Amino acid sequence: MTVALLLAAALAVACVIVVGFPFLKEPDPETDVLDELDDDERRRLALLEARDRALSALKELEFDHRTGAITDYDYREQVGGLRREAAAALQALNRELGESGAEGPDGEGRPVGGRT
Amino acid sequence: MAQKVSPARLVIALSVAAVLAVFLLYTSIAGGGNPSIAPSALQGRTGEVQLAGLVVGPVVGDAHAGGLRFGLEDIGGRSESRVVVRYTGSVPDLFKVGRHIVIDGQLRNGVFVAQPGSMITKCPSKYAPKQSGDSA
Amino acid sequence: MPELGRAALVVTLGLVVYALVAGAAAAYLGRRRLAQSAQNALIAAFFTTVIASLVLVSALLRHDFSFTYVARTTSEALPTGYTISAFWGGQEGSLLLWLLILTGFGAVAVRLNRRWARDLIVWVVPVFAAVATFFSFLVVAVASPFATQVAPPDGAGMTPSLQNPYMLAHPPLLYLGYVGLTVPFAFALAALLSGRLDERWLIATRRWTLFAWTALGIGQLLGAHWAYVEVGWGGYYAWDPVENAALMPWLAATAFLHSVMIQEKRGMLRVWNVLLVILAFSLSLFGTFLTRSGVVNSIHSFTQSSIGPWFLAFIGVTVAVSLGLVFWRLPQLRSPTKLESPISREAAFLYNNLLLLALCLAILWGVVYPMLSEAIRGEAAVLGRSYYDFFLRAFGLPLLLLMGIGPLIAWRRASLRSLATTFRWPTLVGLATGLVLLVLGAGSSVPGLVAYTFSAFVGTTIVMEFARGTRARKALGASSWPGAFSSLMARNRRRYGGYVVHASIVLLAIGVAGSSAFDSVAEAKLTQGESLAVGGYTLVYRSLDERQSANATEIRATLGVNRGGDDLGTLEAGKNAYTIEQQLSNEVGIRSDKLTGEDLFVIAEKINADGSVYFRVFVKPLVNLIWLAGLVFLLGSLITLWPDRREQRRLVARADEVGVPATR
Repeated sequence: MTVALLLAAALAVACVIVVGFPFLKEPDPETDVLDELDDDERRRLALLEARDRALSALKELEFDHRTGAITDYDYREQVGGLRREAAAALQALNRELGESGAEGPDGEGRPVGGRT
Repeated sequence: MAQKVSPARLVIALSVAAVLAVFLLYTSIAGGGNPSIAPSALQGRTGEVQLAGLVVGPVVGDAHAGGLRFGLEDIGGRSESRVVVRYTGSVPDLFKVGRHIVIDGQLRNGVFVAQPGSMITKCPSKYAPKQSGDSA
Repeated sequence: MPELGRAALVVTLGLVVYALVAGAAAAYLGRRRLAQSAQNALIAAFFTTVIASLVLVSALLRHDFSFTYVARTTSEALPTGYTISAFWGGQEGSLLLWLLILTGFGAVAVRLNRRWARDLIVWVVPVFAAVATFFSFLVVAVASPFATQVAPPDGAGMTPSLQNPYMLAHPPLLYLGYVGLTVPFAFALAALLSGRLDERWLIATRRWTLFAWTALGIGQLLGAHWAYVEVGWGGYYAWDPVENAALMPWLAATAFLHSVMIQEKRGMLRVWNVLLVILAFSLSLFGTFLTRSGVVNSIHSFTQSSIGPWFLAFIGVTVAVSLGLVFWRLPQLRSPTKLESPISREAAFLYNNLLLLALCLAILWGVVYPMLSEAIRGEAAVLGRSYYDFFLRAFGLPLLLLMGIGPLIAWRRASLRSLATTFRWPTLVGLATGLVLLVLGAGSSVPGLVAYTFSAFVGTTIVMEFARGTRARKALGASSWPGAFSSLMARNRRRYGGYVVHASIVLLAIGVAGSSAFDSVAEAKLTQGESLAVGGYTLVYRSLDERQSANATEIRATLGVNRGGDDLGTLEAGKNAYTIEQQLSNEVGIRSDKLTGEDLFVIAEKINADGSVYFRVFVKPLVNLIWLAGLVFLLGSLITLWPDRREQRRLVARADEVGVPATR
């Protein structure tokens, strides 16, 4: 019984230490503010996501066309619109990054399906 | 294009309506299921019901030859609520006097004639029921 | 030792309450150290729960009957494996298991996402902690596994029907599924709370949802198999509320898995996805509640303990808070992207969602109907098998068909012309199959025939997709056909893993149709030497034997099996009489035909004193396809779940591009 209580007490102490650890490690920090994304970063992230979405939609269209799931007719109907969307997304991103002076993105995906 | 209700949206809305219609049609035609009652409430009821109660003895007969007869009482109730049940079909392994069971059937000439195979027993210590019957 | 267990759980409760309060404060005020402290608390709660669990396991293995729980669920003679399974065999232990898995998943989810989804994690912590608070509270104050008593000489033993290997796998798998759904739920609420309403929360939780969904699916199949071979009434699913309790969240999760693809690709359906995940989680809680409160057969009887009202209250609070958050964020959730055409992949997914949800809600209606009718009319009314069967067919069959259509339609907008081209072959194969089967006599069941026809259609589309993909890959320069196939799978895991899962559903549909629409049954009382004929088989009752096992007397009737003049060996069926528990269990005899997937299923319903036995025999065509479907399902899920190095790199690269610092 006493063993159990001792172990329990030790457990409680250990937990208090674990929970208090961030305060014990940095009793007097430079900044205690949560590192969140600011508005600029959020906007950039949203544009990046829009670009990736447009590029992957193009890639998927190419894939579907190559494997024959989508006919030539449907492909021709859609590819123009998707290419325009992707270009617009890339332009918007470049504009945003150009304004903030950051490095341009290394376009990791290409509009024409190089990979299946 | 600023169309208020595009054709696509309309088709989706119609599909939702169709599903709802199927549901409502079925439930209105097939009815609202069987009442689930205690043995004490059985008196005078003629339709198909589900009885939920406690098995009391004596248990006689053979469910596969002539029918198994036993009594069913209200759970936690008085013994005046006792109903005689005649059951045919598969008898669950857990069936015995003192078990809670659920059974479908109809009152006929003072005896509750059960639907063959409709008995479900409740497992006492675990929370899942054990049953037999014509199921998939 | 029970004191240690109790103390560990109290510490757990303290930790999660702290994580909830401190975590919420930290997220709201933006305090870094406090957020980290709350995170630590959540992770520490896992370790304290592990300690409590170890205390219980050790008590079980030591047969320490001073623990009320151990005495109630085990006995000295119980084999060790089942003694361990008693951990989750009873109310209190199963709640502890829930808590253990919950805190474990919370710890892992938070650790894995702490860098790239940081602004979500600060809110995930308090949401997770809130759920954990509920379960810790239950095991501390309402249903403690560590209640003690004066130790009796022996325990009450385990119900014989639970003494089988399924007990070791089925409940834990289901719990992994139920609890696993907490992760996407927590991330969804975190997205709402933080205002980060884009796809980030979906991507962070996609694998969790898949994992939970797979666990729930396999858990249910195991349960069905258990019912089939152990409980042995001749079926595998009875639309019992306890079974439906797992099916409903699984259906909602299936809908969710599909609709998230629309949000990922097109940015649409944000509100819908959040609502779906709330529904799935709520149904998971509701399912947990259903299986333990006994509230479903009749509101007055069968209540096992007092935790029912607590569960209902928690579900109510969860739904209210979640919906409130959705309503609050509604303006920001709306996306400008519109559905372009009723014939498109988005639309197909929407129809899929509609049907899945309709089936799920129809089942839910059936489950709560007795409670509602009792509350409104004063008398409970139950809906029977035929209700569920109708909706399974009405919604399930179109869903089956859709499974073959969806993957082959273009996004945004597909022309009718292209539909005609794409579906020419599958439709022909489907119709041809249907005609052939009709000629062979499958017209005896229209839904069965329709299921077979649709399955042929879908199966063809899947085979075609694999063939076309492999051919395209080969054309791009792959070295060989197998090489083309494997690189196709490796590069498109989600898509082709998904196709494998669809294939498993096709197998499931065929198996269910065959065994439920085209089965045969016969019954008779036989004395030794007499025979019974059913579905092409002839069975001869040969002998009756009795033998002893560790904790039961086993009675077996031996039958000789003959089909079309061929001797197919013998089959045993009978009963086990368990000594301590004073209960009988049914032991059925099953002969599975390797070639046709058909089962010969024998139940020795009643063994009479004079040695005669009342037998009930089923012939179930194609039933083994159901179990095969389980394996294929697992394979497909594994393929889809497999980590994708390229995808990981892309996500990290994207964070770098934005200029988000990598570490903290």
